[in-house]
Amino acid sequence: MTKNILKMSPAFADIIPAEYRELVDNGPYGRDVGVAELGTFKELLEEHPLCAGCGLALALRIFLASLPAPEDTIVVGSTGCSSLVFPQAAVQNIHSLFGNQNSVASGLKRALKLRFPDKDKDVIVVAGDGATADIGLDMVMHSWFRRENITTIMLDNEAYANTGGQESGMSQQGTVLYMAPKGKNFPKISMPELAREAGCVYVAVGTPAQPRKLEKMLKRAIILARHVGPTYVQIMTPCPTNYKFKNNETVNRLKGLEKDGVFKPREYITAEAQEALNRLEEVSK
Amino acid sequence: MYVAIKLDKEKCIGCKMCIFVCPEANVIAFCPKSKKVEVNEARCKGCGLCVVACPKDALSLDNN
Ligand SMILES: Cc1ncc(C[n+]2csc(CCOP(=O)(O)OP(=O)(O)O)c2C)c(N)n1
Ligand SMILES: [Mg+2]
Repeated sequence: MTKNILKMSPAFADIIPAEYRELVDNGPYGRDVGVAELGTFKELLEEHPLCAGCGLALALRIFLASLPAPEDTIVVGSTGCSSLVFPQAAVQNIHSLFGNQNSVASGLKRALKLRFPDKDKDVIVVAGDGATADIGLDMVMHSWFRRENITTIMLDNEAYANTGGQESGMSQQGTVLYMAPKGKNFPKISMPELAREAGCVYVAVGTPAQPRKLEKMLKRAIILARHVGPTYVQIMTPCPTNYKFKNNETVNRLKGLEKDGVFKPREYITAEAQEALNRLEEVSK
Repeated sequence: MYVAIKLDKEKCIGCKMCIFVCPEANVIAFCPKSKKVEVNEARCKGCGLCVVACPKDALSLDNN
């Protein structure tokens, strides 16, 4: 896709919504803008219905600014809070049945490889922790076993936030939520380590409290999925609504969890992926 | 009641910390000319994350 497809016919210019016009005139398509330039270009995201202070919304804002080629990106989503954002985002999006996201993405990536053999189309899965680590776990793991060239991103708010606060496999042991009154009785799943063992060539755990670092992780994951194999990024995204903290505390909470050692950002990369990364980062210099 | 942040332009040093913590898109813009930020109050949900992040107390949440 080129920017031309977004251009509007001059005859309709006066009835096109202002937000769309801004996107055409000052959007990120085909430009070298990223997280550092936020605030100086029209973001791909429009007003969305997520709660005030939502960590997941902040992560998605950074994610959308980090895309290396938004015009050639297809985001495959799943039911959850994140799926309420994509109708307001100017990227191509498929909303799949809850849990099926990695299967849908696998098929899509294969079809796009056949249809556009000379072009990189980034297929990126963006889903919640419930969709990734619980209900969709078999589809997620098998897409990794099959070494599909897709990026999987988990927005980890440690709960089923969208359905009112049930515990997920990613909740910490002992967590009490609106619909988990007795407290969770088993520990958080080590998803990054599972991903590493299951065949992901690059795995990263990041936080929107460090937007530049998170951008780097996301870019690496997307580029390596093009050239080497499956990649996984887990983003910690606290939920003020279900975890009952003030909505101006989201970022401080992230920093606090990291300081207390409860949340540990980390990265794993295979030798093959590291070699490819060195080569690619050399070229882009 | 509509809650939105207020910016005291005098105090802003243009560090952009507020832009990096805002969960809403296109609320806070950076003006390269004045090297300060500008706020689109109509898009703000009033979470206050930027108020906490601002090192110069240039942003405040006014509850009316
Ligand atoms: C097949 C199917 N099962 C269950 C649901 C109900 N459901 C909707 S959202 C959701 C939880 C989502 O949790 P998560 O993936 O963590 O996303 P979050 O809302 O926390 O971002 C569930 C169980 C559904 N929509 N479809
Ligand atoms: Mg969740």
